[in-house]
Amino acid sequence: MFKKILISIIVFYFLVLIQTSFLVHFNILGIVPNLVLISVVLWNLFEKSKNYFGLYIALIGGFFLDIFSNRLIGFYILILFALAIFLKLVFKRYVRIPFTEKN
Amino acid sequence: MKLSSKKNKVLIIIVVVILIIFLLNFFQKDIKSFFYSVSAPIQKVLWRAGDRTSDFFGGIVRVKILKQELDELKLENQELTAQVVALEDLKKENKTLRQVLEIGFQKEFKLALAQIISKDISQDFILIDKGSDDGISKNMPVITQQRVLVGKIGEIYKNFSKVMLSSNKESSFDAKIQKEEKDISGVVKGQGNFRILFDFIPREENLSQEDIVITSALGGIFPKGLLVGKIKEIKKSDVDPFQQAEIEPFFDVSQTEALFIIL
Repeated sequence: MFKKILISIIVFYFLVLIQTSFLVHFNILGIVPNLVLISVVLWNLFEKSKNYFGLYIALIGGFFLDIFSNRLIGFYILILFALAIFLKLVFKRYVRIPFTEKN
Repeated sequence: MKLSSKKNKVLIIIVVVILIIFLLNFFQKDIKSFFYSVSAPIQKVLWRAGDRTSDFFGGIVRVKILKQELDELKLENQELTAQVVALEDLKKENKTLRQVLEIGFQKEFKLALAQIISKDISQDFILIDKGSDDGISKNMPVITQQRVLVGKIGEIYKNFSKVMLSSNKESSFDAKIQKEEKDISGVVKGQGNFRILFDFIPREENLSQEDIVITSALGGIFPKGLLVGKIKEIKKSDVDPFQQAEIEPFFDVSQTEALFIIL
């Protein structure tokens, strides 16, 4: 678990750096893809509903987005965390993706 | 039983998270400053790589547009050359008149060079590599090499500062359009997402597209004569006492690497 968290910290740190320094050059109509948001959503969509690692990922991603944005620390953390919890609850109650439930 | 323990776990996580967030905000400046100094070298490399890659691909995608632009620019160039010749004469005349009247030229600004490190994805803010240690303070104007206004210093850290672009929603300052007969004054307001509006222009004033908006010294933040952008679209209604105009900014953050701060 600790190793997984450490890896995701490094991955999200680099994702945010790429997003704020590299991808800003490729915006289409002023829109830059938010890699962190996409990763958090995808992870929580495809994670088994009984696992909670997606929530940690939301916290880590949100923290780095806050650091490199001009908002108070907590803005993106709360948005991503709420989003992750929402996805977890919806998927637990109403959706079953067959290949994530196997094993 | 199992379900409730899981619920408890989630609840505990939420409480801990809120507490940590609350505490982190007390040391916000130090934490951000630390991360900026650690990331600056990587970000500089990424910024340059992005700049070059987008130039390369942008060129390929826009060959047709570029060709058209080239033709237009050639034409414009000819016109400008003619203007330069005319202006050279005026310059000479001006110089002689100044000598006669003993008026000195306006003092040049003292500038500090800074490099862009990153851009905020959601707001019109950029991060540059000069901070309070380099003598930068809040509200200092930031310009490009061509004297185009970029914005003003918003937040300052030890070795970094955030520049609030003139297109930021919270940015507004006095500006004018220089006309032969009479200057047209108004207020430039940021609209977010690199859009700028020239507002509070009296309705009777005759604006035209391609008019160039420059800063005026009225607001006291920016020195006069910095280029802001050119008029793109004029919005005039019979009811409003003022007219508005959309400005196409001259600066393009993704194409700029170095900026100057007026000290």
